[in-house]
Amino acid sequence: MATQRIYGYADPWSIKAGEQLSFMVSGEGLGAVDAQLVRLIHGDENPDGPGFVEQEVASEIPAQLAVRRQFTQVGAFAVANDPDQRLAAPGDFTIYAFVCSTKPGITRQAMLSKWDITAGKGYALGISPEGRLEFWIGDGEMIDHVAAEIPLVPKAWYFVAASFNAATREARLTQIGVVNRYNSLIGPVVPFDYGSRVVETLRVAPADPGVATPFLWAGASEENDRRGRFVGMLYSGKIDRAGIVGEVLAPDVIEALARSGSMPAGAVIAHWDTTAGYTDSGIGDTIVDVGPHGLHAEGINRPVRGMTGWNWKGRADSFRLDPAQYGGIVFHDDALTDCRWQPNLTVTMPAELRSGVYALRLRSAGAEEYIPFFVRAARPKAPLAVLMSTFTYLAYANEHLAYDALIAQAITAHTPILTEADIAFNKLQEFGLSTYDHHSDGSGCCYSSWRRPILNIRPKHRMSSMGMPWALPADLSLIWWLEHSGLDYEILTDHDLHAEGVDALRPYRTVINCTHPEYYSENMLDATEDYLCAGGRVIYAGGNGYYWVSGLRDGEPHCMEVRKLDAGSRAWQADPGEGYLACTGERSGLWRSRGRAPQKIVGVGFTAEGMDESQPFERMPDSFHRRVAWMFDGIGPQELIGDFGLGLGGAAGIEIDRYDLALGTPPHALLLASSHGHSDNYPLVSEEVTYAFPGRGGTQDPQVRADITYFTTANYGACLSIGSIAWSQALPYKNGDNNVGRFMRNVLDAFLKPGALPGSEFVGDEKLWR
Amino acid sequence: MAPQQQPEKRFYEVGRRRHEITLMPDGTEVWRRGRVPLTKRHWLAWRGVSNPKSLRRERRLLDKRPLWWTIGLGGLLVATPFLSDQAINIAAIFCIFSAINVIWTLIIGTAGIFSLATMAVVGMSGYAAAAANVYLGVPWPLMMPVGALVGLVLGGFLALPSTRLDGLYYALLTLGVAEICRVFVSQIKALAPANGSINQVDSFIPADWLLQRPGLLLGFFAAFALLLAALLVFRLINSERLGLLLQAAREDEAFSEATGIDYRRARLWVFVLSSGALGAIGAFYVMFYRSISLAVFSLDQLLLLFAMIVIGGLGRSEGAVIGTAIVVLIDKGMLDLGPLRIIIVTAVMIGVALTAHNGLTGVRAQFRNFRNRKKSERRAARTEKGGEVMPEEATEIADKQQVYYRLFDKRIRDRLKAQITPELIAEHKAKPLGQHSDALDRVLNYFRRGEMPDKYAILRVGEYTSSTYKVLAFSGRPGHPPRVVDDKLYATMDEAYHAVFLLRVNDLLAS
Ligand SMILES: [Fe+2]
Repeated sequence: MATQRIYGYADPWSIKAGEQLSFMVSGEGLGAVDAQLVRLIHGDENPDGPGFVEQEVASEIPAQLAVRRQFTQVGAFAVANDPDQRLAAPGDFTIYAFVCSTKPGITRQAMLSKWDITAGKGYALGISPEGRLEFWIGDGEMIDHVAAEIPLVPKAWYFVAASFNAATREARLTQIGVVNRYNSLIGPVVPFDYGSRVVETLRVAPADPGVATPFLWAGASEENDRRGRFVGMLYSGKIDRAGIVGEVLAPDVIEALARSGSMPAGAVIAHWDTTAGYTDSGIGDTIVDVGPHGLHAEGINRPVRGMTGWNWKGRADSFRLDPAQYGGIVFHDDALTDCRWQPNLTVTMPAELRSGVYALRLRSAGAEEYIPFFVRAARPKAPLAVLMSTFTYLAYANEHLAYDALIAQAITAHTPILTEADIAFNKLQEFGLSTYDHHSDGSGCCYSSWRRPILNIRPKHRMSSMGMPWALPADLSLIWWLEHSGLDYEILTDHDLHAEGVDALRPYRTVINCTHPEYYSENMLDATEDYLCAGGRVIYAGGNGYYWVSGLRDGEPHCMEVRKLDAGSRAWQADPGEGYLACTGERSGLWRSRGRAPQKIVGVGFTAEGMDESQPFERMPDSFHRRVAWMFDGIGPQELIGDFGLGLGGAAGIEIDRYDLALGTPPHALLLASSHGHSDNYPLVSEEVTYAFPGRGGTQDPQVRADITYFTTANYGACLSIGSIAWSQALPYKNGDNNVGRFMRNVLDAFLKPGALPGSEFVGDEKLWR
Repeated sequence: MAPQQQPEKRFYEVGRRRHEITLMPDGTEVWRRGRVPLTKRHWLAWRGVSNPKSLRRERRLLDKRPLWWTIGLGGLLVATPFLSDQAINIAAIFCIFSAINVIWTLIIGTAGIFSLATMAVVGMSGYAAAAANVYLGVPWPLMMPVGALVGLVLGGFLALPSTRLDGLYYALLTLGVAEICRVFVSQIKALAPANGSINQVDSFIPADWLLQRPGLLLGFFAAFALLLAALLVFRLINSERLGLLLQAAREDEAFSEATGIDYRRARLWVFVLSSGALGAIGAFYVMFYRSISLAVFSLDQLLLLFAMIVIGGLGRSEGAVIGTAIVVLIDKGMLDLGPLRIIIVTAVMIGVALTAHNGLTGVRAQFRNFRNRKKSERRAARTEKGGEVMPEEATEIADKQQVYYRLFDKRIRDRLKAQITPELIAEHKAKPLGQHSDALDRVLNYFRRGEMPDKYAILRVGEYTSSTYKVLAFSGRPGHPPRVVDDKLYATMDEAYHAVFLLRVNDLLAS
């Protein structure tokens, strides 16, 4: 039997009951799979908990689903819209661009091409396997080329141009270094002679490769029997202003172009101004042609915009200050934001379907796939909403940390644990990266999308580098506990909160976060604040929340953007001047750096992380105040809270948050409980480290701890924060019969009732009799 | 245990001055690159680089062979007219034999057919051309086409068994063909009076110039042109489509067949075309001497030719020419030595065969390999596994921080080795995760920060609820899966953690 593989994804992720969604599935080694709609109750198979729990749900989804292999186009590129084939075989022509290659050599890369790789027809300006700028042409019989004399220096800006005289077949290749004090990896002190000007008479003239071969940025067109047309020769690096002129430009005109970058006089066919289209709220995927024909190019797999250009002078550190210095568009040969598969199934979910986390379960004799999605209530009725961290799920989607991150084992403090399925998936290298990974040229990945199979949202998945469930599979522990407790709840997702703001929360008396609400947009923060101000009650039960400034482009919720910079536990660091989100125009990085530390909203914020073991909480003196003592009903004064759990054996751990007035914790917040005894594998986070000195680990630094805080807001609102990822994972311990559950039940019983909260009358000063 | 005494290290100063011809062009200059007409080939294979030490722009000749060819053949062309009559004759003979050997190299090297019928083809074509001229009155300018035609036909016949018979048998067969030719010609009655020779053949050298200086010079220039033509044929067949096809096929025969490259057909084509060229040379040979005799088929002549290509090195045109030059100089230039010449040729041939892997032209590459091998042996002797970087190695490492890391790594390992005690191992076994003693923490942190290639991981085998564990090692390369280190199965995760720890301790102590 051939190896069987099933991979799939749902679009959109979040729907209301009664709405429609599509499933895109690819099957290898099989023609049909068994399909079943299931409700996901618990993911973690840890024997200390209930194990994997799902409920089969009747639906109109057919029991058998026909599938075939679907192919994925990996790599970012752009396609020029050229209906009249003006870019086909231009006779005499000159093609030019500003480029900054990040990975010259090894494989052939096309920067600007109307080139059919399969037929060897057309023309292209690109980089040879030896790392030299090369202009190549072909007529289907023979390929000929002219190459620059010296290889391109990686991460340095150049102006490059090639002209071709159709009558004499003389080709002129020009390469001019435009490195300044700011724009490149190296500066003016390096005595490179970047330039090269080569003239050669070629043996062929380019033939028109035909309509099927588009004019491409950062790739060239290719075809094979199974996949049909696709894009190969993918380019890694930046391309700034580029164009094509229907004449052989004189050398001095080319030299002038290298200095100005503005559209040359003459028979311009296209001049793409990569700086056109910026607004205060970012830029889209269209590369604007300001030439006479408007042959705009459309980016595929999100070429990264908002990046510094060839003329960046360092003073403007955002495209919002001077778009003209932000013409750099970054292409990655392994970018993927949309698999663009054909849907195998488009269904409308029943209007009476209970809100919850669902999945389409696909099975064959040799393979299994779960495609999770989220169903909200058509009309909210329950008093409690669970906010599923879909932004976080995207951020971690298909992370490669165990395989590629040198420091992953040092962070997690143990050896990664892989499964055969993990290895098979990683071997494919087909379904893109997470925002924790680096592209093949070493730069960080800032986009993550749900329009692709995602291994680590499968409900039973355990994150290899940590050996435990992470994000959605871990969050299901809270869902199981709510089901088990018989509480009436509905779910929401980050995406709903982002799209609808406080309106999404308003129907609910209480909203509870999941384990790791790390990625937040401004809409989401605003909505949470507004909800609390309006009397809403928030239980922030997670670690490292409200951390990264993240965004979505309007109308494209599937793809999230984040730029990691300056501070924080960051898998990568954006290059100087590239810290602003292209999708919203705002500065990314930590919310804390923008005046919105999480402490300001929920009382606690990120302080340490470790993946070796978790600790219990211990009650702090404030927990005996009558304002909150009711939360601890049934829990002894010195009882350890959560000295157990599926998250490394404790309720306080993995990623932990603490109270800090200096970071904006509300002054009336009570510190109810804290954890002690974390190991040195929990070092204080980098954003807290101003001077580096020894002893910032859990055994020596008092800031390494998880806190439980509580404060009230206007209109009977309140916020209880439990700063620990492991908290929810302690809930299912002993079939839910434990003091973490007890505490949660006490809080929820009160939070879900309207009106004044218990203990709120205790506002007087203590009489000092004792 | 006393620390093992390391021999004192020797640090050699490294660095050289520039040792080859290098142009220093300016990036603003326009470089007009000329091409050999009708090809995509440049006249000279220049290669532009930035010197890694100075970053100065340099233009170096990647392939210096065109230079050597020009110097060698140009020198011969310019010098020969000033030589003695005898030397001019030797130069001409050198050119003719070189031409034969260059074509023979195509047959043996490019086509990979070990044929010894070379002189048979040359001789038969020569006889045919001579006969056509003397008996049929064909004018001398048409003799070379006649020879080529006969060569083609002979080549066609000889090619047939080449795909059926394996190397040695085919070589013997072709050796037999030469003898058959000799016997055949000697049996021709018409030639009996002249002892099997044909004399008084017309030639491009006027009859009254024969053995005169102008005649000798004309003979030399013609032979020189013949050599150039042979080299052109070699180039066209070896480096154009047919030769490239065969090159690809030699590298991976199965792949070539799978992709539909007709390897056998290409070999035969090379053989037949080369035979045609040999036929033309045969006709030239007759014209040069104005006669042909049975000596052309003699075994000693063939063996002399064989010595030439063995000394020069099989498969390359420069080998054929250099070998010919040496043997012709000995054989024709040292006539005074008499029979001793043959012994000298033999001695040279044996000497080259014993010391060089592929004739004189292969000596350079052989020397480089030898030097590289010595280099790595010496380095291996002077450095320990995972030890610090020697100055001569450092020149080859672009990222100098790696040099420091290696040194740091060596020192930290030396310190950590002393920390490994049975108690430390027992501590880890008791509790693989969580807070450890300072010593164990340091050892573990070192392990965790290791490079990705061969870094250990754990494989969970089977369903989570009933799983066992194996130890893996990462490849460190995207898309390349980790390998299983051994087949041992561990019942619990803690046992697997500890197994990884023990492996890493082992690696540490072994380094
Ligand atoms: Fe995180």
